[in-house]
Amino acid sequence: MVYQLNNVSMNYSLRMALRNVSCTIEEGKWISIIGQTGAGKSTFVQVLKGLIANIDGDYLIDQYPVKRDAKGQLMVIPEIGFVFQYPEHQLFETTVFKELSFAPKQLGLSSTQITERISKILPQLGLTEDILPLAPFQLSGGLKRRVAIASVLMMEPKLLIVDEPTAGLDPVSKAALLQLLKKWQQQENRTIIFVSHQMEDVAEYSDEVMVFHEGHLMGQLDTCTLFLEQSHLLEKIGLSLPESVQFLKIVEELSGEKIKVSSCREQEIFEKVLPLWRARGLQNV
Amino acid sequence: MLTFDHVYFYYKKGQPIIDDISFTIRTGEFVSIVGANGSGKSTVAKLIDGLLLPRSGTVKLHQLDTAKPADLDEIHQQIGFVFQNPEDQFITTTVMDEVLFGLQNIRVPREEMRGRVDAALRAVQMEDFLEAMPHQLSGGQKQRVAIASILAMQPQVIIFDEATSMLDPQGRKQVLSIMHDLHRQGMTIIHITHHMEEALTAERILLIHGGCLQFDGDPLTLFETVAITDYQLQLPFTVRLHKILQLEKPLAVDWKEGIRSQWSIN
Repeated sequence: MVYQLNNVSMNYSLRMALRNVSCTIEEGKWISIIGQTGAGKSTFVQVLKGLIANIDGDYLIDQYPVKRDAKGQLMVIPEIGFVFQYPEHQLFETTVFKELSFAPKQLGLSSTQITERISKILPQLGLTEDILPLAPFQLSGGLKRRVAIASVLMMEPKLLIVDEPTAGLDPVSKAALLQLLKKWQQQENRTIIFVSHQMEDVAEYSDEVMVFHEGHLMGQLDTCTLFLEQSHLLEKIGLSLPESVQFLKIVEELSGEKIKVSSCREQEIFEKVLPLWRARGLQNV
Repeated sequence: MLTFDHVYFYYKKGQPIIDDISFTIRTGEFVSIVGANGSGKSTVAKLIDGLLLPRSGTVKLHQLDTAKPADLDEIHQQIGFVFQNPEDQFITTTVMDEVLFGLQNIRVPREEMRGRVDAALRAVQMEDFLEAMPHQLSGGQKQRVAIASILAMQPQVIIFDEATSMLDPQGRKQVLSIMHDLHRQGMTIIHITHHMEEALTAERILLIHGGCLQFDGDPLTLFETVAITDYQLQLPFTVRLHKILQLEKPLAVDWKEGIRSQWSIN
């Protein structure tokens, strides 16, 4: 599915939250949304999900305008999943099984269909069936978060919006969750829209990055193009580069050599820079 | 001085959340508490503030004991708490009222109030926002107002419980820099965090795991000697860089100059 916004603006009573935003979101990509607080990131993802009904401009899915109600307002788009910050705050059932079954039941899925979906989704989030009879509130922070995300995946979204999904998690739980989401996105060829302030995570997982500032979409670029070639965009709006990319740029500047990388992942940067660093040492011995 | 002496805490007998922890934090220290989700960090913070009471052992601020009801009011005044989400503690409609609220509760004389509000807002560079509505501020500004309302109470100790985790990078920098300013002025700072880059800036780190104190010492010793990934944590970038480049001396928190000088030495 292809999601397309044409000249979309959104006005809260006191300020313009989005200003003439045009973009195309293609299938099977991890797209990160970055920008300072108040840049329009949250408004943008809410518009995408159809949670904000009164927008100016056009919203098309696969070239067809998104449905509007009798008053001409946008309707919520069911095939888009939305994981809010601290999604575990939305847990309310007495067991994980009931929690995961709740939304599909409302859609009228049979018990067999629900069980099949649960069997598929649990391993995708690194969970096992032992967890099903437990109360969600007994679980650790990281597990609670995964159960909350699993309940959104139960709806088999074509596109998944995750708004700071790792806030409050320890570094290992955070990395584990992001790796699971990446695997799900690649295996299912789905799209993830990832709202984050953590540039290291953006560099690690994204195919593309959308940069917002004061309601404007400043650019939608391939991750490496943004960080390596268009970093002035970030400097202009007070955002920093990931530290590994800063390291790469410093070594490029010191060595006078261009270091070719195929991604901005920290491990690859270290692998490419290290030989140059070592060679420099050896030359001077 | 803040003392934890053989402290145990549990909700359910036989399942300790805090299992025989002892440490002393000297007045004016900057201490980070780190550990995985569910390790017991926030419970330690609540025990310090007297929001929870130890099942056995003692928690004392100087001679004040959290287990003595007569001491609790004084302890609450001396220890301020800044939470993860500043919105959780906003209840008024202007920044000034927000900072005044705590003072009214502890019955600070009216003529003293305005001076305290102004000083607290100046300390967090929010003095121009007196009449602003807290909910319309940015994340970093909200957290600064939350800090100001604690500062106005003139505490000796401030506990920041993951107070930077919901902020954008600019907001995080501002709040961290305020923590260090307050520390330089002699305040005791306890910073609970998952950001190892932030923990690295502390004078001392307490690592808690499974309710036990696993490490108590300076940050570099922790990152050099303890396999912290076993505790669900990650080395800060500067330490990862130091290890991968096999440098002799550790790099500073701001590692860029260190890299440049190492390159010229090589």
